[in-house]
Amino acid sequence: MQCEDIELFLEQEGLEPLPEEARAHLAECGGCRNYVADLTSLVDVAHKLPTEIAAPERVWISLRAQLEAEGIIRTPIPVAIPAESASWWHSIQAFFSNRGFAAASVGILIVAGAAFEIARDRSPRNSTGSPEVARQMTPAPAVTSSSPQQVKPAAPTRPQPSASFTAPAEFASTAEALDDQEPLATGLLASSNSSIDASLRDNLKKVNEFIADCERHLKEQPQDELTREYLSAAYQQKAELLSAMIERGRSIN
Amino acid sequence: MPTALPSFNKVGTSQSPRSATEADAIRLAQAGDAVAFEQLYQLHSRRVYALCLRMVGNPSDAEDLMQEAFLQLFRKIGTFRGESAFSTWLHRMTVNVVLMRLRKKSLPAASLEETTEPDEETGGPRKDIGAPDLRLSGAVDRVNLERSIEKLPPGYRTVFVLHDVQGFEHNEIAGIMGCSVGNSKSQLHKARTRLRELLQEDLRDQARAERHAAKTQAGLGS
Repeated sequence: MQCEDIELFLEQEGLEPLPEEARAHLAECGGCRNYVADLTSLVDVAHKLPTEIAAPERVWISLRAQLEAEGIIRTPIPVAIPAESASWWHSIQAFFSNRGFAAASVGILIVAGAAFEIARDRSPRNSTGSPEVARQMTPAPAVTSSSPQQVKPAAPTRPQPSASFTAPAEFASTAEALDDQEPLATGLLASSNSSIDASLRDNLKKVNEFIADCERHLKEQPQDELTREYLSAAYQQKAELLSAMIERGRSIN
Repeated sequence: MPTALPSFNKVGTSQSPRSATEADAIRLAQAGDAVAFEQLYQLHSRRVYALCLRMVGNPSDAEDLMQEAFLQLFRKIGTFRGESAFSTWLHRMTVNVVLMRLRKKSLPAASLEETTEPDEETGGPRKDIGAPDLRLSGAVDRVNLERSIEKLPPGYRTVFVLHDVQGFEHNEIAGIMGCSVGNSKSQLHKARTRLRELLQEDLRDQARAERHAAKTQAGLGS
């Protein structure tokens, strides 16, 4: 066997166990021996590379939204509306049926809101936030000179509440923190035409509308604990969305 | 009534029964079941994302491509009849989406027949003979291998990642790439050989940098 034959064998059979005559050639030819050893070495390392890498959650969120928009996902979610219900609030009840989840999210929500406060410059009006929680949080990555200061923030998507209703007192600092972060998040993705980013913006618009509806309802019925839970869950979702938008905007920019 | 918000649609809130097998999930997804779509996504997303990430080299593009691949798959899921493995079908779409994107970015033509770089010698890849200092054994690690994979032409990169990283067999790669088994084997061998060259260049560059650093250090010390 000659060097060209080794080459041909490797091309046709790969690094399979070499036939006797090939091994005999390798015993005499240092070049071919190095060649085969090098290919074996790099393939061994390749086999150890991870075959699976987890994608960010936002990809599924955006994909699912797109599938629903196109009617490909046809199974309705949330669960069907009770026939006797006269108010859409009752239908939302089934949607957020896990009270334990909704209640537990309140604590996460406040912490998430505090984390946003750390990421921005403190100003006198923010001093009423939750500094103790904020100090315990890991600071968000520093804003680079190429990002928000040079990006013209898009108009906030949150429907501006009228003078007659605002966020309930227990959510005031969180709502304010999220509202402060929203221009940054939308600004970072303002110039992106990606379908993922369009879905994120759309989802933010929807959650803002839902928050506004919840706040309006709580103004009318302050004792409605279920709506209060829905509102806390919606703030959590908004925090997650804004975080995803900021992270994505920074990776793009 | 506010539209349901995606991030709160936890698996299990749907009324449809849990699917134990991929075949069941496919059947339910063809009927539009949300849980089934998510199950299929969770089953395959990690491998698809790993493939996209290795092909394009950055997370942002990889996310876009992965979403596009799954979108195309789910749009056409009603046409899937099981003639090939679902995984093969999905990876074929993924590879097509990725290669289409790379073509649009004006990278070297990505068809399997056009996987050689313009300045590559005809008649087969080069092979350095008898140069002990070019030996790779023991010097290849995951970092420099990943770096070198990114430098491969798209066609070589696809075959190498599918076979040597993801573990697909040649008959599966042939189905994914739309080529023959022989072609897949040939391209894999060329990809490996080209990788070897890239790794050798990387090692030379590193050795050169270390020698330069040592000289500088010696100069400072004298």
